Amino acid sequence: MRWRGSSKRWLAVGWLAITLALTSTAVAAAPSRLRLFTTTHSAMGTEFTLYLYSVDSEAAAAVSEEVFDEVDRIEQLLSNYRESSELSRINQNAGAGPVTTDPEMMDFLQQSEYWSRASNGAFDITVGRLMKAWGFFRHEGRIPTDAELGDLRAVTGWEKVKLDSARTVQFTSPGIELDPGGIGKGFAVDAAVRILRADHIAAAMLSAGSSTVYALGAPPHKTGWRIVVPGPLPSKNTLSVITLRDTSLSSADCSQKNFTVAGHLYCHIMDPRTMRPVEGRIQVSVVAPSATASDALSNVVFVETPEQSVATLKAFAPNAHVLIVSGDAEAARCSTFHWTSPVDATHCAR
Amino acid sequence: MNRRDFLQSVSAAALASTTIARAAAPAVKPVRLGVIGAGSRGQENIRQFLRVPGVSVAAICDIYPPRYEQMNRLVGKEVPHTADHKELLARNDIDAVLIASPVACHAEHVIAAAKTGRPIYGEKALGFTVEDNQNILDAVTSNKVLFQIGHEYRYASWAQEAIRRVHAGEIGTPTHAYAYWHRNGDWRRSVPSPDPDGKLEHLINWRLYRESSGGLGTELGSHHIDMANWVFGEQPESVIGTNSICRYHDGRTVGDNVQTVFSYSQGRRLVFSSITDNAKVGCEFWIYGTGGSVQITIEDATIYYEKNSSNTPTADQTVSKTVVERGVVTGASYSTKGEMPYRGPGEKIVGAHSEDPTLAAVRSFIEAVRGEHSIFADVHCGFRAAVACSVAHDAVFAENKMLIPKAVQLTAAGV
Repeated sequence: MRWRGSSKRWLAVGWLAITLALTSTAVAAAPSRLRLFTTTHSAMGTEFTLYLYSVDSEAAAAVSEEVFDEVDRIEQLLSNYRESSELSRINQNAGAGPVTTDPEMMDFLQQSEYWSRASNGAFDITVGRLMKAWGFFRHEGRIPTDAELGDLRAVTGWEKVKLDSARTVQFTSPGIELDPGGIGKGFAVDAAVRILRADHIAAAMLSAGSSTVYALGAPPHKTGWRIVVPGPLPSKNTLSVITLRDTSLSSADCSQKNFTVAGHLYCHIMDPRTMRPVEGRIQVSVVAPSATASDALSNVVFVETPEQSVATLKAFAPNAHVLIVSGDAEAARCSTFHWTSPVDATHCAR
Repeated sequence: MNRRDFLQSVSAAALASTTIARAAAPAVKPVRLGVIGAGSRGQENIRQFLRVPGVSVAAICDIYPPRYEQMNRLVGKEVPHTADHKELLARNDIDAVLIASPVACHAEHVIAAAKTGRPIYGEKALGFTVEDNQNILDAVTSNKVLFQIGHEYRYASWAQEAIRRVHAGEIGTPTHAYAYWHRNGDWRRSVPSPDPDGKLEHLINWRLYRESSGGLGTELGSHHIDMANWVFGEQPESVIGTNSICRYHDGRTVGDNVQTVFSYSQGRRLVFSSITDNAKVGCEFWIYGTGGSVQITIEDATIYYEKNSSNTPTADQTVSKTVVERGVVTGASYSTKGEMPYRGPGEKIVGAHSEDPTLAAVRSFIEAVRGEHSIFADVHCGFRAAVACSVAHDAVFAENKMLIPKAVQLTAAGV
């Protein structure tokens, strides 16, 4: 079973290129012994990649297995493609009454609720039925009728999910389906990074299909992990380069999951307020302290106008760094919020 | 409305409101857990227990201090902790005990918990050695405590339905079970450094060492042995097996692959294989019967029926020449048709629900603690699988056929 229920667009391979400094000298306690190892793992409908400095391949393999076990565990928690996941259990039962869940799931729901409230609904995990109506659940794009969308309003809306201190979740409107796609990979990355920290890993980077990455520490003799943000397609040139250390970056765009009808491209990232795919946004990148936050925020700033995004960021994520590309490929506009790295202006009129 | 109607109306309203109140906030008897062993499996069990209304964690016991903070995070509050299981069992705020320590510690921990009279949810395998298993069985039965073993497949709705249909004869007579648990990974947990004397290595990677682990045959195979016991209605009589280290020459003393054949009455067999360098078949349990096959996985179950092999005589067609007139064409006789695997779809077995098997298992345990029903995967079920594991653990090194003892004075209970 695959994780595809994403309300967010995952980046094509190469969209977000990760450039690593390959050196056998490290800055940790035994720097000369550290080497870079790379492992990959399929989960959540994408490929996770772990770049890890370790003393030998055996130690790297043991850490990788733990990290990817944790990713798999979170997938089993959050997958809306697996009937036995905790999220599916909530989807199946919370419309009929309160469902007791565990603290971790409650944390996930509370963080989702936080970003929904902060963005006034631009971010919303109750878009499960909406994603299906638009055919994005299993890549079968279609345009729903206005009547369908009208009916779906009854089963869409973050305010219809009630959480309480007794760790229960209840839907006030039966039929709601949670879709973790806009935040789940970030939540998984944060959980996996906790494993890396517990294992006292000094330098590693975990990438969830390149749409969300977390940079832990820095490669030897480097100040951080180098991330390349490419220009809008079809350009293959660099839009900006940023160095990350102990922080996360998430990106979103529409290049991979979409469908075209009568020459119009419909993006899989929904604006839950209009019940329709977002228009006018090309790509966004967001740096935030946690992967959960950067993942959710990349949805927020993709859905909101740049002006709305700046207001939301000032109020709820003042330490974030954001690069937004709007418009279309012929007339792209770039907007930034605390994005300190140079941006190649040839890609956009800022 | 007269007084009688009014009273009836009020009563109906009161009943309705009571029903609504119960639905909104079900009054469940709280169950406070004490946990012995808070490693990866213990944590997963706790996660599932906390999804059952009314369950809380009162205290934990583990000898590895990093577990304390991990459990605090998992439970969402600071949980009292100790490294001494006797100290945990001496607490007066524990209603039931979860034991998820390494298998070699099960006897000490389960027997101590049984003596307190509290219900126990014990991870598999029941015990490490044959003697351990007997001692645990004795302690649980003599102290008359509720005990559920962590064979959660028994609570997977699709497994229950599949085996119900097998027992109903849908695949004829089940004669063989083939079980695979194939992975591609070293089964090793990372160890913090420095660890100069290797103590942390043996503490964290206890599954890799023969003195503390039954290896793949116990840690993974016990589930499949229990399922075969369930299918055949008995425990195996003997086992032959082998193991080796094929890929991971890292100091471990249990095999990184194991193959065992368990013999049941009437010549029935369970064949178990576990390897750690190829995950093609993953984890699957096949039941072969004279009329069909059933595949059970961690997520679903599928039934396949044998090809129709009817040999009813057919009459010659009168509209064309008979075989006597046209003759029989001679040629090579070999046909692969009968040897090729069936590649068509099977019938997916639909269970009553899709709940995670571990959640279903721990929920059932809590219901049993509350007196709502008896325990399905009880201590006898645990014994029958674990005693086979204990013997198989020796058999794969000796590579001799070994007999599997039955429980002494085993009380009547369904397998």
